[in-house]
Amino acid sequence: MIKPKFDELIHAPTRLSIVSLLAATEWADFGFIRDSIGLSDSALSKQLTILDEAGYIEIRKGFVGKRPRTSARLNSVGRAAFEQHVRALQEIVAQAGASVLPR
Amino acid sequence: MGEELRPEEAARALVEIEQRHEQVIRLATIPTWFWWAIAGLIVGLSAAIESRRPLVLGIGIAVFVVGILATVGRIVAGSVLHAQPRNDLVRPAGVIAILGFVALVLAVTLPTGFALKAAGTRYPATLSALICGVLIVLGGPLLMRYLHRVMRANVTGGRR
Repeated sequence: MIKPKFDELIHAPTRLSIVSLLAATEWADFGFIRDSIGLSDSALSKQLTILDEAGYIEIRKGFVGKRPRTSARLNSVGRAAFEQHVRALQEIVAQAGASVLPR
Repeated sequence: MGEELRPEEAARALVEIEQRHEQVIRLATIPTWFWWAIAGLIVGLSAAIESRRPLVLGIGIAVFVVGILATVGRIVAGSVLHAQPRNDLVRPAGVIAILGFVALVLAVTLPTGFALKAAGTRYPATLSALICGVLIVLGGPLLMRYLHRVMRANVTGGRR
């Protein structure tokens, strides 16, 4: 049973998008996250650093051939925080009834 | 802040989460051309084998090997370069569906091939490979649709 817990760090719009993407992946490439969410390299780096410092993600740096490659994954702490945050959002919506669900 | 969040905002956040999950699930999509390519390669190889000409057989095997490596490689490369959807999204139901699909294709095509051979048909393997190809082309996209449904049901969050 997941306990609902609103997480301000995750709820920031850009970070919510990043964490949502990562929650469905084993890992995701920096370029994929950047292009999916529509961020600049520097903006994404900044958000990933915040998530990394919060202990929610792991950042992997490596090479594919000679090209440097960065990828990120949600660790167990981040995954638990995300699941609790989702549960908190679902509770807020459930308490208000189905009328608030956007089409 | 959680208590101060308006329900509309929470609902919008859940929609955003759902859309991001959908982006990842779409990454796991095997495109329709893949099923056509695999079906074509199987039929081509069977026809090459049944031609009984060494040159045609050699070319057929080479095309099959290169074709399989290229098509599968392209799908895998797409995943490696972007992101890998969570392994546990498919769950046993998805694995059973994949194995069931393979079993169904074999259960239909192998007896058909043997029956055609027993009946003295000229190209039994090619004909059964054609049936195999039709099953792959029709069943592959259906299998993907089912797997997507399983993945959507297993991913956390959204409006469920």
